[in-house]
Amino acid sequence: MIKFIFKAIIRDKNRSLLPVIIISIGVFLTIALSGYLNGVLGDMVDQTARFDTGHMKIMSKAYAENKDQIPNDLALMGVGEITESLKKDYPNYRWVNRIRFGGLIDAPNSMGGSKGQGPASGIAIDLFSSSGDEVNRMNIKNALVDGALPTKSMEILIGHEFAKKMALNIGDEITYMGTTMNGSMCFGSFTISGTLSFGVVAMDKGMIIADISDVRRLLDMDDAAGEILGFSRDEHYYDEKVALVEKAFNEKYLDSKDEFAPIMLRLKEQNNMGSYLDYVNSFSSLFVIIFVIVMSIVLWNTGLIGGLRRYKEFGIRLALGEDKGHIFRSLIYEATLIGIIGSIVGTLLGVIFTFYLQTHGIDISDMTTDATMMMSTVLRSKFTPKLLYIGFIPGVFAMVLGNMLSGLGIYKRETATLFKELEV
Amino acid sequence: MRLAFQLAYKNLIGAGLRTWLNSIVLSFAFVLIIFFNGLLDGWNQQARLDGINWEYANGHLINEEYDSYNPFSIQDGHAVLPKEDQANLTPVLVRQATIYPQGRMFPIMLKGIDSKQSTIKLPSNLLNTSEANIPVIIGNRMAETTNLKVGDDVLLRWRDKNGTYDASSVTIVGIFDTNVAFVDSGQIWVAIDKLWEMTGLYNHASLFIANDNYIHKNLKGWRYEDREFLLKELTKIIETKKVSSSIMYFLLLSIGLLAIFDTQVLSVFRRQKEIGTYISLGMTRFQVVKIFTAEGSMYSIFAVFLAAAYGIPLLGYIAKTGITFPMSGDDYGIIMAETIYPVYSFNLVFGTIVIVVLLATIVSFLPARKISKMNPVEALKGKLQ
Amino acid sequence: MKKIIIALILSFVASCLFAQDAIMIIKRVDDNMISKTQIVESQMLIYGRRKTRTVVSKSYTEGKDKSFTEYLSPAREKGTKMLKLKDRLWIYSPSTDRTIQLSGHMLRQSVMGSDLSYEDMMEDREMTDMYSAEVVGEEIIDGRKTWILELKAKVDDVAYYSRKIWVDTERYVPLKEELFAKSGQLLKRVSLTDITKVDGRWYPQKMNYKDVLKTGKGTDFIIIDIQFNTKIPTYIFNKASLRK
Repeated sequence: MIKFIFKAIIRDKNRSLLPVIIISIGVFLTIALSGYLNGVLGDMVDQTARFDTGHMKIMSKAYAENKDQIPNDLALMGVGEITESLKKDYPNYRWVNRIRFGGLIDAPNSMGGSKGQGPASGIAIDLFSSSGDEVNRMNIKNALVDGALPTKSMEILIGHEFAKKMALNIGDEITYMGTTMNGSMCFGSFTISGTLSFGVVAMDKGMIIADISDVRRLLDMDDAAGEILGFSRDEHYYDEKVALVEKAFNEKYLDSKDEFAPIMLRLKEQNNMGSYLDYVNSFSSLFVIIFVIVMSIVLWNTGLIGGLRRYKEFGIRLALGEDKGHIFRSLIYEATLIGIIGSIVGTLLGVIFTFYLQTHGIDISDMTTDATMMMSTVLRSKFTPKLLYIGFIPGVFAMVLGNMLSGLGIYKRETATLFKELEV
Repeated sequence: MRLAFQLAYKNLIGAGLRTWLNSIVLSFAFVLIIFFNGLLDGWNQQARLDGINWEYANGHLINEEYDSYNPFSIQDGHAVLPKEDQANLTPVLVRQATIYPQGRMFPIMLKGIDSKQSTIKLPSNLLNTSEANIPVIIGNRMAETTNLKVGDDVLLRWRDKNGTYDASSVTIVGIFDTNVAFVDSGQIWVAIDKLWEMTGLYNHASLFIANDNYIHKNLKGWRYEDREFLLKELTKIIETKKVSSSIMYFLLLSIGLLAIFDTQVLSVFRRQKEIGTYISLGMTRFQVVKIFTAEGSMYSIFAVFLAAAYGIPLLGYIAKTGITFPMSGDDYGIIMAETIYPVYSFNLVFGTIVIVVLLATIVSFLPARKISKMNPVEALKGKLQ
Repeated sequence: MKKIIIALILSFVASCLFAQDAIMIIKRVDDNMISKTQIVESQMLIYGRRKTRTVVSKSYTEGKDKSFTEYLSPAREKGTKMLKLKDRLWIYSPSTDRTIQLSGHMLRQSVMGSDLSYEDMMEDREMTDMYSAEVVGEEIIDGRKTWILELKAKVDDVAYYSRKIWVDTERYVPLKEELFAKSGQLLKRVSLTDITKVDGRWYPQKMNYKDVLKTGKGTDFIIIDIQFNTKIPTYIFNKASLRK
């Protein structure tokens, strides 16, 4: 039976090609839209991850309890070893060290005095790595207002409002006064290599970015870091996967009484992200549900049409003695098969499209003036396993339902009437 | 041309149910496009809305010495504004202080605000109704950092206007949830008259928050940052997001067109006899094509009217009440809700109408072209082609 | 009636005497503790959560207005210098060869992570100028008899509204001091021990300064060497000489 139907489908292009195409398009749209929506709504999550929480963050327990105060005296030590073992155990993630620090910036004037003084908050990342991993992640190149990325030790980037306020230019030297991990006073001379537009007023006015090896030396934080961040390779956050890593990692230190033992927190548990993520999920679910319903209606229409077209054929078959139920069932089988074929094609196309947008994204940096660090200028989709099956719902079910509805006509109409539609 | 439309109109009316069905489906797609885009725009604007509701209101009148981004300016950045200039303004006084939760030392900003204010969403009214000695409210970020809950007492140390240390226990009478970290992190809110009492800085304010009725006039010693100025960065971000919204728009539009295309194909297919009739009655093929195309575009116009009929009240209602998502405030056992208000711009609606009608016409034209290739005799006979 | 009046007069006189006593006690403490100049080499032990740090410094003080400190160890701190002139404070760092003035907000920060703030260090007024004093009792501390003096601010701009000082009745050296906020909340406690006679003065060789509101052991100051009334050359208190 199935082979018969299959042959029929392949031979009668008219009959099947059109519905298959329409279903494929419908399913493709459903998946493309959902994937894109996930990407767009997840934007803020990504932002938070890139700048603050990572997909996972490891700190010492004591540091984590007071993290808003940036207690570098409680920072995690032995990070070299921890980072190496993380890279080995979880090679699907990228692991980076960062140090946050605060202090005073004093800008010298030509007479040895000071032309300006102000509080600064700093973040030390790996600025000089060949892969430019962190630089890319933080969108630094696009956010440069003046000057260039640091290339030498003790060069830093500062917020452009900060530079303006203190009348600083590229190449100027500033003195940083802060506290080392041990509580000692420390001073450092930095040269400004460039200014950045962070996109957040507070940062523009008071933030500096320095290289982590410089800051390590300055703050006596050799082999120590305020935080180790982990990012998934496609820079998208998958809560379930990350939760597993978190559990496994934290288990290792569960029994440790050391208040400076490392503890890992995933994104969802930081910065109030828990409720935000739920929010995003609810929102995108709503969208997807409504979309699937609409898609279903459209495809139902297709199914209906498909059935209506074939009343003539049904008339003949009835006249030939085929059982009404049998015709109906064959109609359903066909519809199901067409639905599946269309859905598979559509899902394939949709998934490819989503992956493409996820990895390459749409670069809109040319369209936007004044790029900042916080605004990512590449639009991306986000693939979730859900996408694999949500296309099938409208694709198969709607199609089948539509056919079923039109198939009812078989039962209702007289054989004669159906036959008449033959109109030979 | 007119004939085409007249006939198209007659056909559609004549078809009755089928017309209704198709128009409904298309109108549905139409309303959906507007709704989705409105919702996405609303989402993007949410940050802006939150900013306005929790922090910016209609602008800030700030003491010229005070810069909220510079903690050095807190000490001296405050003054008295004559009462007659305070119309439609809510005073806020910022001082530095320290709290000692669980034996830890936490430098914070102590912010005093009129407990009866309703300009921003901060639940300052909670400060009114308490019997505690010094009631304070904090945001949930602050609560998390300091491990404090409603009802907890914590020691607060501050300095009065002369720099003398004072210290007392304060009671947390409320914890609020906001997306605006700027009114939450590292700060505690207290009633401003209480703060005046505590510091001796009677009637001083670091800044004033303006409500919608505020009209600014230049005042010596104070600078005004209006709402748009304060929202600058957010506005830029939203502009960027418009590009991503348009991709969404395009994807949504495709459904609507799919629906029309679908319908038109069936239409042409089912009505071959009719087509044959037209041609044998003397119409040119092209005229017949025009009829069918006109039908397609008329569907879209019907759909627009239909969409307006139920869409305007529906979308209008949603725009007012917003869509509320329940979320779990698992930490505190509170069920919190987040509401988005869709934003429908005129461009969105008008543009959509124009585009849908235009594209519907094109999409109807394509299957109608097949007609020009038909053999009228066969068509008349009802033979499939 | 007469009896009541006499009683009132007597108690009034007594309280005046007590007040006088208190002022006199403070003056004698000042005489003991303060000299025209002081050169002190000391250790500051800062008890951190992870480790204890020891910072060694040498200070030159003239009156209450001028003070110069050079940090001698550990290596990190070595060569860092601080100069206080009246109400201004400068810090010189050899690694950057710069002199930075600290003001306002910065002065409230703690010195080297200790329980002491720069501002606490900078107080340059006489106790008797800021506080009115009264003897409120007696107590034995570490086997020494002490008077308990209660000081209440008599000017507006003192950091600590009231203080309590336990003064050794024989040696006129404070053994304990408590600093209070306006509400009466205890904020800081200073314990002075190892009282030794140096140069004819009874001087505490060890002081512990503790912020009472937070957990921790506070900060210890241990005197290694102290000289009173040695002539200090004027260039020491010169801002320019910070860079030498």
